[in-house]
Amino acid sequence: MALRILKSAVSNQRLLIPLKPAKYAKATYSEWENRVNVPSKEKVTDMPSMDQPVPDLPTPIYATLKEEHQKTQVTQLENGIRVASENRFGEFATVGVVIDSGSRYEVAYPSGISHFLEKLAFNSTVKYPDKDVMMNELESQGGICDSQGSRDTFIYAASAYTNGLDNVVKLLGEVVLRPQITNEEVDAARQAITFELEMLKMRPEQETLLLDLIHMAAYRENTLGLPKLCPPHNLQKINRDILFNYLNSHHSPQRMVVAGVGVEHNRLVEAVQKYFVDKKPIWETDNEIRSNILSVDKSIAQYTGGIVQEECDIPQFASAGLPVLSHVMLALEGCSHQDGDFIPMCVLNMMMGGGGSFSAGGPGKGMYTRLYTNVLNRYHWMYSATAYNHSYSDTGLFCIHASAPPTHVRELVEVIIREMVSMASSISEQELRRAKTQLQSMLLMNLESRPVVFEDIGRQVLATGHRKRPEYFITEIEKVKKDDIVAVAKRLLNSQPSIAARGDLRKLPALDYMQQAFVDGDGRMPGSHKLSLFR
Amino acid sequence: MALLRISRFLPQLRKNETICKVLKQSRHLSQARAEPAVLNVPPTRCTTLDSGIRVATEDWGSQTATVGIWIDAGSRCETAQNNGVAHFMEHMAFKGTDKRSQSELEIEIEDMGAQLNAYTSREQTVYYSKCLAKDVPKAVEILADIVQCAKLGKTEIDRERGVILREMQEVESNLQEVIFDHLHSTAYQGTPLANTILGPTANIQAINADDLRCYLSTNYKPNRMVIAGAGGVNHDQLVKLVEELFSGGDPCNKYSGQVPTISPCRFTGSEIRVRDDSIPLAHVALAVEGAGWTDPDTLTLMVASTLLGAWDRSQASAKQNATNLARYSAEYDLCHSYQSFNTCYKDTGLWGIYFVTDCLKIEDMMFNVQSELMRLCTNVTESEVARARSLLAANTLLQLDTSTAVCEDIGRQMLCYGRRITPSELTHRINSITAKNVRDVCYKYIYDRCPAVAGVGPIEQLPDYNEVRGAMYWLRV
Repeated sequence: MALRILKSAVSNQRLLIPLKPAKYAKATYSEWENRVNVPSKEKVTDMPSMDQPVPDLPTPIYATLKEEHQKTQVTQLENGIRVASENRFGEFATVGVVIDSGSRYEVAYPSGISHFLEKLAFNSTVKYPDKDVMMNELESQGGICDSQGSRDTFIYAASAYTNGLDNVVKLLGEVVLRPQITNEEVDAARQAITFELEMLKMRPEQETLLLDLIHMAAYRENTLGLPKLCPPHNLQKINRDILFNYLNSHHSPQRMVVAGVGVEHNRLVEAVQKYFVDKKPIWETDNEIRSNILSVDKSIAQYTGGIVQEECDIPQFASAGLPVLSHVMLALEGCSHQDGDFIPMCVLNMMMGGGGSFSAGGPGKGMYTRLYTNVLNRYHWMYSATAYNHSYSDTGLFCIHASAPPTHVRELVEVIIREMVSMASSISEQELRRAKTQLQSMLLMNLESRPVVFEDIGRQVLATGHRKRPEYFITEIEKVKKDDIVAVAKRLLNSQPSIAARGDLRKLPALDYMQQAFVDGDGRMPGSHKLSLFR
Repeated sequence: MALLRISRFLPQLRKNETICKVLKQSRHLSQARAEPAVLNVPPTRCTTLDSGIRVATEDWGSQTATVGIWIDAGSRCETAQNNGVAHFMEHMAFKGTDKRSQSELEIEIEDMGAQLNAYTSREQTVYYSKCLAKDVPKAVEILADIVQCAKLGKTEIDRERGVILREMQEVESNLQEVIFDHLHSTAYQGTPLANTILGPTANIQAINADDLRCYLSTNYKPNRMVIAGAGGVNHDQLVKLVEELFSGGDPCNKYSGQVPTISPCRFTGSEIRVRDDSIPLAHVALAVEGAGWTDPDTLTLMVASTLLGAWDRSQASAKQNATNLARYSAEYDLCHSYQSFNTCYKDTGLWGIYFVTDCLKIEDMMFNVQSELMRLCTNVTESEVARARSLLAANTLLQLDTSTAVCEDIGRQMLCYGRRITPSELTHRINSITAKNVRDVCYKYIYDRCPAVAGVGPIEQLPDYNEVRGAMYWLRV
């Protein structure tokens, strides 16, 4: 395809001198020329230049308080809803609802409910007949809002000026308990999901898709293995009735925590009482909504292991100068976030680290983690290799995601399995120390952000009823020893591997070869240590 | 009443000038004494050292902190011959100093659990580190070392060429970056702002240690540097550290003579088309010349930008979206995504919109974009401006959430404004923007101006420049 570059400059052509309103009629020629495409010097904004302070402004009184280490206060209200909050300085408060709901509970429904709910959040409700009115009210408090569904938690959150607390809680109460979910809105959500799925396939990033696949492989057809992204064939199946059925069963007060950061606890409790307890959910008051309570799927996640693969082209369009890659994610059964091994597992994750062979960012991104020193720096063809640790209330997944050109898929799998197997062998004092410090600082750095603190409070209170302070985790991380790491690595390697792959997978070894490599002491696949032409 | 008071002052007047003063006086009299504004944030403290370096901090007393060096220099300070040298220098800073080798530097940072990062823009170069509060002195020492005493060894420079060329590939695979580079190249043609930050391949292959030293000695000067800190940073301690570490004992950083002045960059209404039908979607940007950082019109242009908003197809319920353009885009399937932008420089800026669309929808999208621009200039309403105002204020303040974001804000504002704007002043400025002001400002910058247009991809349908220019005014006012 021929590449044509045309460049044209027109501002100097007098033909384009614009016709001006009458007040410029008497301008001389030279004035016209000076004015060609240069904004006038006319002062239209009655304010001093930005480098000068605005005069006569009230003198500000600054906060002198330092970040206090206040306790998280938790209150349970009569209908079972829990309210948790922490005060913090800053102009803004973040308040939201964290619900024990997500794709893992969708076994009795067509998968994709949570995906729909994510798109449907902050739409019309009983009190706000259209979204515009609601957004207008939130924006007048300087607010923004967001909703996010994950495999086991659904979050609605809003940030606004601290004095707008009551309004924000009112809005959240409406959005969570009294949404209208009109058919028109469901159609719009369906459309948005279609576009999102299309976009996910088009983009070079594969994490979201692979995460769905690896969970499918690891928990075959149960709980966490149910897809989070709505499968295309379910798009038409999901309707208003099904959604209300799901909400009625899963979005009940006992399964909810209202969490707030930068708010006074008493005021939050009062507001929650008004809008979450005294006012009933729409599915209890509106007779037209035919919904019945189905029992919640309480089954514990069953780790199965296995493989899920999808042959496709990455990138979808080869022209944009993007490299052609195959992506593989290898996972082992990890542990739940309530497990005693959870913290050593996090340290191990930090120790493996990794990232892209070419990624932005200077030192501090984990340049001396194992996936960098042993993998990315050693194999020039490896495009990326990153370790992830996903933890849930009853189980967890420890994965490594790697990508390379399709010709190197077999080597990629070999190299990564070898790295995973050697997690259980020797660990140097220095790399453990580094991983521990990095985990500690990463924890504190993440908690700088108010939305992160909000999510942390919400999730912890939802899971355990209280929040452990970061200091607790700092001490716990400090306690981790070499033996603990080796022990969790052995625990990981005792499980069956799960594999998810996307791209050109002709070179991907068969599942049993990979399984055998995981049990081999050196992480070798059968046939790889001798010259074998007919593998 | 007020009139009476003015007329009483009038006899004392001689010149027009003084009328304003008196008016101001009388306004002041009639106003009740303003209540002090109580802010829920700590103050920003600024100190200018003897060397000219400015130190500014916001101390939260938290356990983590961000400190960084903001330098008033970027690719705009380059010529066509050395374009790319600013960015090259940023890379070389991480490649070892007289005191520590590259791997020693990396291990030191990694072992602290800290992060060291840098970026170069057209007007600023930034080096910063995020670390635990107790490590701030060490982080400042490392920053001072890499900025003042980079080794610039020949082998390291040669190795870095490959890395930068690889980075260039990365940038080129991101069409959004590509389109903005093209937009700059056409809008500021013939001036330094037209250059890309990375520079052309030929330059990357030719730049040597002398070029880098020459760039350093003209640009990395104490009075063009700001050391900013936020989070757990003690101001007095940081001032002392900076005094010690940037004492100018190093001859390579001694300041002599005037700071080179920046020549104004001319904006040219023009277009650039890079047609490539093998790319799946068309990427188009349209911009007019906006205001520079310090211009009071900047915030109004930001409000205008907010009024256009941003949208992409995975957002549901856009049919009820607040901004007109998002609503049309969703309803008539005009584009895959769009976003408005307002990029500021010292004395100029680019204000406009960037959209990605199907090759057969370009004309429709362009028509709607331009109609919306004309609407902003002529009949934007008070209620939508009110919404955009509060949205802008909230978004600006909400961004200041982490120490890195605050540090960035301090550093940028110190360079652009020479001061830090308090949140109360910012809200005051934004809240005094009216619909009339938006119309006036849009009329000044957008209405009947020659836009710069850049298009990449299957853009056969992109209207001819004269047609685009013709839609920048209406045959009525």
